[in-house]
Amino acid sequence: MKTLALTLAITLAITLGISGVNSAQANPARDAIVAAFAAQAKAENPAFSGFSAAAGDTLFHSTHTGGKPDTPSCSTCHGAHPQSSGKTRAEKVIEPMAVSVNPTRFTDTEKVDKWFFRNCRSVLGRECTAQEKGDYLTFMISQ
Amino acid sequence: MPDTEMNEHQVKVWDLPTRLFHWSLVALVVVGLITGFLAPEWWMGVHLWAGYGTVLLVIFRLVWGIFGSEYSRLETFTFTPKEVIAHIREVFFLRPTHYIGHNPAGALMIFALIFILVGITLSGLLVLGGEENQGPLAGAVNYQVSALASPIHAILTITLMVLVVLHVFGVFTEMRLSGSNLIKSMIDGYKQVPDNIAAPTNRNARPLAAITAMIAFALIAGTLLWVFSTMPPSGLSKMADNKVFQSECSDCHEIYHPSLLPHASWTTLMANLDNHFGEDASLPSKKAIAITAFLANHAAEKWDTEASNRFRTVSPDAPYQISASPYWVRKHEDVTDDVFKRKGVGGKSHCKSCHQDAGTGRFDDQSIKIPKK
Repeated sequence: MKTLALTLAITLAITLGISGVNSAQANPARDAIVAAFAAQAKAENPAFSGFSAAAGDTLFHSTHTGGKPDTPSCSTCHGAHPQSSGKTRAEKVIEPMAVSVNPTRFTDTEKVDKWFFRNCRSVLGRECTAQEKGDYLTFMISQ
Repeated sequence: MPDTEMNEHQVKVWDLPTRLFHWSLVALVVVGLITGFLAPEWWMGVHLWAGYGTVLLVIFRLVWGIFGSEYSRLETFTFTPKEVIAHIREVFFLRPTHYIGHNPAGALMIFALIFILVGITLSGLLVLGGEENQGPLAGAVNYQVSALASPIHAILTITLMVLVVLHVFGVFTEMRLSGSNLIKSMIDGYKQVPDNIAAPTNRNARPLAAITAMIAFALIAGTLLWVFSTMPPSGLSKMADNKVFQSECSDCHEIYHPSLLPHASWTTLMANLDNHFGEDASLPSKKAIAITAFLANHAAEKWDTEASNRFRTVSPDAPYQISASPYWVRKHEDVTDDVFKRKGVGGKSHCKSCHQDAGTGRFDDQSIKIPKK
């Protein structure tokens, strides 16, 4: 009886652990959002060859000049580390962007569109391309 | 001095209730002055209790002025102007007639003090109701009335302080001239009186009549105040939750109460969301229209709180920035940068950190609690 219970518990823990990893990394809603950006990127640029976490990393950490002077970089408000929380200029806490810490990130299309629209214009002074959005998401999913 | 050779006898002048009244009033006036002039805003609650206590004491004293023992009765120290002038002249020549109770100048001071205290507490109630939207007159009095009552409250208080100084000066003058220790009399109730001063009738106090009068007064005043307190307040006093406003605005910052900016500021701010304090805060037009309508319906002009009245005046350079308005700047003058940097405060954009009732737009003085860290 005891061994059976132990086996069951271990099996359960492993299953939960795997599904936990699954829900943190792969989420149907988020996959659909990334897929939509990929389709859009292909339409914008026939030479599109997929998203790059490294490119997303650079986009996130670089200092840009085209946008509003108070927000030269994504990390101005989100903080230098995607796993840590950031702060808006009005001192409100922004939950971490990294999917591993914040599994619900990038699962709501409306929210994703709203913030890319606003924040790309604030930081870059223009809307982001689908390539940039996809790179950014890929970077955050890898974090 | 020939006076020293004269025999004296002890007379009980001040009964216990009168003595208790005197020293309680001293304490409450001191508390009222300190909390009114020196203490920070959040001592307001104590200031109010000092005020309500003063009202009760003054009412008691007037009732006791009818039913108290001999020298507590108002009639025993009600003098004609002629008698007052004659007395002052005698004092001037350092040969005043001896009075067992209040002398005419002292009596005049008692009436003046009571009159001023009535004025201070009444004007205080008007300020409390109109400016702070508190107390029995919260509904009956609007902000304009309190704007008038506020300087009156201050002027009467300064007058009171002058009178208190004169009162103490008068006491010391009489102690000097008559040789009797008036301060001791106000503590133990007895006065040394020369034998040649005729003892008047010595009527006893009528506590039962006094208590009856106080209860009757409490019933009448209580009913009146209750009637006043049922009057609806001027302007809006609360608003329904608005989900779009709450969720969209709180994405980036604390929710600021709509009464903190005038109509014109809100509508211009909402029309320029693409450059919102140096950031793009664009909203789909449907949401923007809904929020603009909500803000317009609940803007400063629609309320009658102190904050809503004050914040109608915006900074010409930053008409949407609440913390740039002249009133905000003046009220936070003494708050140092170190305080704003405290973790529990989190900056000038966090009204709620210190103003516990910021969400209601009231910003009561008593609701200020500055985090220590």
